[in-house]
Amino acid sequence: MIAIAALLCACESNDVSRDIGARCTDDNDCDVRCLDDQPGGFCTTLCDSDEDCPGGAHCITEDGGVCVFACGSDGECVFLNGGYTCQAVDSQGAGAKVMVCLGSD
Amino acid sequence: MSRQRLIIATAALAIAPSLVYADDAPAVPATSTDSPTQKPTDASVAPVAPAAPADMSDQAIGASIGVATGGRVTPGGLRVEGHYLYQLSDRDWFDGRASFTFGGGAAECFYDRTDTYVCDHGLAQGDGLEVIATVRHFLGGQGMYWPFVQGGIGAGIARFGADGVSGLIIPLHAGGGVRASIAPAIAIVAAAELEFGLGVFGHDIGAEPQFGIDITAGVEFRL
Repeated sequence: MIAIAALLCACESNDVSRDIGARCTDDNDCDVRCLDDQPGGFCTTLCDSDEDCPGGAHCITEDGGVCVFACGSDGECVFLNGGYTCQAVDSQGAGAKVMVCLGSD
Repeated sequence: MSRQRLIIATAALAIAPSLVYADDAPAVPATSTDSPTQKPTDASVAPVAPAAPADMSDQAIGASIGVATGGRVTPGGLRVEGHYLYQLSDRDWFDGRASFTFGGGAAECFYDRTDTYVCDHGLAQGDGLEVIATVRHFLGGQGMYWPFVQGGIGAGIARFGADGVSGLIIPLHAGGGVRASIAPAIAIVAAAELEFGLGVFGHDIGAEPQFGIDITAGVEFRL
């Protein structure tokens, strides 16, 4: 039972990573870049289009193109632990608006 | 009476080597020309299967190399081990090991949105040093091949240099393998093991489970 429990814990996944979504204070906390103007800091990667982002993320025009989580409503941004809402912003590369989780102004 | 017993015992010792391979030889019925002293041997001198490889002495040393899979805060990568074996019983040997894991890898730890520091290392990342005490129990051998099961406990250090994370680990080990004698004092050994236990890490990580699989092959030398 202990071994099974340990195995389950070991396979537990996390919604965020150093690629995208982790908290940060500077770029050293992330694989690529820390958006320190977002609540708690937000790790992200650079992109030219959605294809450069992990699944469930869009490429937006901020900072020349960065990946952020896609959403359909504010409730889908709750996992970022406060301060984030679902907003319509310009998509990088696609020339359209996309709904993504970003810090509330 | 005692002289007759001595004759029977002597005859039994003389034919004992052929009885070890009695299963391979065709059955030959006894004839009237057989010596009367040989007839009871089937019942009184049953072949005794050896409990362990005949070339195993009470002490041996060895070295092995292989791969270890880790993940999260369990180090994985190239596994190199040194062995010291000491006989405990007919079938059991203590196997003391110094085990080194070389995985390296990039930084994979981060603060999640609840400000918890978590690590998500891959299968072959991190470095480890461990001292392991196991017992190897030989099962029935097939010619030069001797399968065995083994189990024990280890203690050591795991380190993920790119993240500045290190900790103490105490994993249990359970597995098995096969030993094959290739020369009078030399054998090759292949083994697979499951590791599971606990590690205590710094950097606000605390206690985390350890889980991994090791596959190694090596050589042993009789002392």
